[in-house]
Amino acid sequence: MKRRQGWLFFIIFLLTLSVYLLINYPLQLGLDLQGGSQLTLQIIKEEGKVTRDELEAVNSVIDKRVNNLGVSESNLQTLGGDQLILELPGEQNPLVASRVLGKTALLEFRTQKEGTSTDLKTLQLQRLSIKELIEQYSFEEKNQNNDNLLKVIQDDLKEIEQELNYSSTSNDLYGKLIEIKKYVDKEITNLFVKTDLSGKDLINAGRRQEQTNSNWEVLLTFSNSGGEKFAEITKSIAGTNQLLAIILDGESISEASVGNQFASTGITGGSATISGNFSAENARELEVQLKGGSLPLPIEIVETNTVGALLGSKNILKSLYAAISGLIFVGIFMIFNYRILGFVSVLSLVLYGFFNLALYSLIPVTLTLPGISGLILSIGMAVDANILIFERIREELYDGNTLTRSIDSGFQRANSSIVDGHITTLLSCFVLFLLGTNFVKGFAATLGIGVLISLFTSLNCSKTILRFFTTYQSLRQKNLYLPNNNFLN
Amino acid sequence: MKYNLELIKNKRKIISFSTFLILLSLLGILYSTFNTSYKKPINLGMDFVGGNELRIERVCEEECSNLSPDSVLENLREISSNKNFINNIKLQFQNNNKLISIRTPYLSIEESNNLITNLDNIIGPLNYESKDSRLIGPKLGKRLLTNCVTSLLVSLFAISLYITIRFDKKYALFALLALFHDLLIVFGIFSWLGIILSVEVNSLFAVSLLTIAGYSVNDTVVIFDRIRENLKSKEESYNETIQLSVNESFRRTTFTSITTLIPLLSIILFGTYSLFWFSLALSLGIIVGSYSSILLAPSLLLKD
Repeated sequence: MKRRQGWLFFIIFLLTLSVYLLINYPLQLGLDLQGGSQLTLQIIKEEGKVTRDELEAVNSVIDKRVNNLGVSESNLQTLGGDQLILELPGEQNPLVASRVLGKTALLEFRTQKEGTSTDLKTLQLQRLSIKELIEQYSFEEKNQNNDNLLKVIQDDLKEIEQELNYSSTSNDLYGKLIEIKKYVDKEITNLFVKTDLSGKDLINAGRRQEQTNSNWEVLLTFSNSGGEKFAEITKSIAGTNQLLAIILDGESISEASVGNQFASTGITGGSATISGNFSAENARELEVQLKGGSLPLPIEIVETNTVGALLGSKNILKSLYAAISGLIFVGIFMIFNYRILGFVSVLSLVLYGFFNLALYSLIPVTLTLPGISGLILSIGMAVDANILIFERIREELYDGNTLTRSIDSGFQRANSSIVDGHITTLLSCFVLFLLGTNFVKGFAATLGIGVLISLFTSLNCSKTILRFFTTYQSLRQKNLYLPNNNFLN
Repeated sequence: MKYNLELIKNKRKIISFSTFLILLSLLGILYSTFNTSYKKPINLGMDFVGGNELRIERVCEEECSNLSPDSVLENLREISSNKNFINNIKLQFQNNNKLISIRTPYLSIEESNNLITNLDNIIGPLNYESKDSRLIGPKLGKRLLTNCVTSLLVSLFAISLYITIRFDKKYALFALLALFHDLLIVFGIFSWLGIILSVEVNSLFAVSLLTIAGYSVNDTVVIFDRIRENLKSKEESYNETIQLSVNESFRRTTFTSITTLIPLLSIILFGTYSLFWFSLALSLGIIVGSYSSILLAPSLLLKD
């Protein structure tokens, strides 16, 4: 009896600790409960597996970009060796993040091949007209009041295609426009030769509004060696009709000439500006991408989940209803069938609930909808062990044993089959946790933790509480343990 | 207090009933594979094939007006740039026309945003706080599917290994037979649900199958333990000992199933829609699992 008293104090201590933890370290809610967006980024590698170093490198670039975007409380983690998960809580639109993160942002500086000036001029004109066509098309789409305009765009496109001696293969007009633009971009890039200066030589990027008009420009700051390379390159083409192109992900965003005055030293000072008709938004996106550096491998956004904040709080409320009503009905069922014993199991269920939640805030486990369903399901499984024990106790009582003896042997004899029986469930949880997606992991974690804790609460806590009850003479009558109106009898 | 299930008398009936259920499931799976538009044993949801699912509520002063999905689609078609996906769009109104639920093939975030803006123009205003949108690329879908199938196989293998080590060959064989019986029937029910009600299965369905596997074996283990214990101590014949053991553990098995079903039912009744089919699959699995643990697995042990 003395030993049990020690357990009783231990349990009360654990309960106090749990309440303390829950008050001071609130539970982390998943995005499906608090609202927000979750993006899954897949690293694309044509051959072989993504190595740990590559994953780290991609991770750090994305991390820098996210930080520079100024998204608050975002959370980035790797998943399964070649995926990253980015969580944006609250009402933050994933659109901007997706545009900024999805680009490789490979920045190159190239010099024009000699004797290609006329070719470049033609291509630049074609690029201009195709851009205009795309703008017209978007405008037409929004207002859709001019069928003639579509026809004009189509005819103009045909003309450009003939000039380029290239015919597009896309089905719809928009696809064709984009395809031709890409083709022109590629042709322009081909007129330039690579240099050894690239995005790696940058130490910072910034943006500012141009003084003459409302456009924005992006400022590049080179490292020491980068600045020297830049001076070298500009020196080599200064005063010639060769241009310097700044190329981002294969598309030239700026072509500029270097004046004769730089012929002796090149452009020194270690900085450059790109002024390519940027809007404020575009300039900011480019700045963020350049600051973070280029991605060593391209990535693709393969999954996006967005949950509104209102829906999130509704989800919490619904889950709460489900959990509480489940608890109440299980409690009614147990008390109806097992009387005092049932009441004991309800008390240990309440303990079970507190211990579970406290452990979630300690580990910490982020609570999601599947996680909550795992928790609710484990309520039912937690009573399983109690039922096994109580059935044994009843059998002993029917055989005419004393109350104390029945309780003792009931717990003793049920012990092994309870531990055994939970092993298969734990096995499933383990596999789910190892192989499952993020979504599934939440369920496996809460169900697994639940099954483990239930071993403690239903074996130890219920025994201690029951022992405590039986120290009172008034609670030792047999008919409190053996109800006559049995369900399923 | 004593239960008297006449296991020995009803052995034939029990086995025929189970065979019937299995055949029915197989029929559903075959029909689904060859005679449906998706040509798969089960109707795979967007978790596995990729796509875009959007649910959003309208803001209405009193009651939301009645709208026909066809006319909304017609309007959408007129103002959308990508005419292609509009043809494959599914649109429904639920909850007294308040909730709009849309399924399309995979869209980029940009396209999805455009779709919502277009919808807002047609049937707005929309309550963006109530938005629930999921975009899954086809590549990821394929990967999820392989992931789920691997998880299932690995965990079935682990469970089989555990059972074979723990029991003699005969017990292990029948426990596993009962397990595959349960999984096949739940799978079959969802094949039929896919055929009749176009219910789709997502990754949570695979999770429910795994959980059912763990749970169903657990029940069978308890009953087989009782049988082994009693075979050592009781003097009745082999068959009668089995029947007795089943009756002795009947109360325990049904009670534990009921206490597990109660929380699941409360999720079905009060929980969110995304957990509805998941909880239903689990509930079915627990019902079928209890049946196979109490009646089928011990019947297989009986000698003629």
